[in-house]
Amino acid sequence: MSTILKIFVFPASLLIMCLGILTILGGHITPGGGFQGGAMIAGGFIFCAVVYGLKENPLNFSHSFMAAMESIGALTYIFIGLAGLVFSGFFLYNLGVDLNNLVPAFIQNIFDYPDPIHAGIIPYLNLMVGLKVLVGLSAVVIAFMQFNHVRENDDSDQDA
Amino acid sequence: MLLYIGPTLFGFLMGFILGTRIKNNPESKINFPISSYLVVVLVALFMAWQIGPFPYYTDLPLASGFLAAIIGIVAGKIIFGR
Repeated sequence: MSTILKIFVFPASLLIMCLGILTILGGHITPGGGFQGGAMIAGGFIFCAVVYGLKENPLNFSHSFMAAMESIGALTYIFIGLAGLVFSGFFLYNLGVDLNNLVPAFIQNIFDYPDPIHAGIIPYLNLMVGLKVLVGLSAVVIAFMQFNHVRENDDSDQDA
Repeated sequence: MLLYIGPTLFGFLMGFILGTRIKNNPESKINFPISSYLVVVLVALFMAWQIGPFPYYTDLPLASGFLAAIIGIVAGKIIFGR
């Protein structure tokens, strides 16, 4: 890739990632949400991976990092759902809003999202889905690029 | 002026997680010094002002989640991304 691209892409990908985070944060009241924002963040990473390659990529998504983020996203989602089951009897019940008046006020305060809309657990679920999606899509691209690298090495071995 | 904790805190956290993964590769010919991050923050400030108080917030005249995210990225880079 050209030097101009290499200078431009990393700062641009940081801004794309910030837009992805903003999309996740507004997911409960605007179009967008966890999947869309996570895909935008993964798009920023893929932008870097395509231009710099996996070895020189300034965004270093290691295997352990991706495994940790994927696990945190999935487990927190399940735990929020189980909290609803424990306190109200319904899995993924919105404890922060409590439309049916099933839980005490202090439980409602714990799960309330601190913004003027008070959407309860929905923004937290969006954040967790965003974590899972950004790691999942990035992992797909990393795997494809590594397969391509292995295939090129095999082809060069056969030619030799 | 009231700053809402939710988008600011979680925007910072998500940005911080991503910022920790930024590492300068010594083998690469392209390196990004601190000054380049300063430029990115200034551009992000301008973008946040152009986006406005997203989504439907009235706390600041700019997108507080966007600004928290870029501050989180820079903080994560400075603290862990070495």
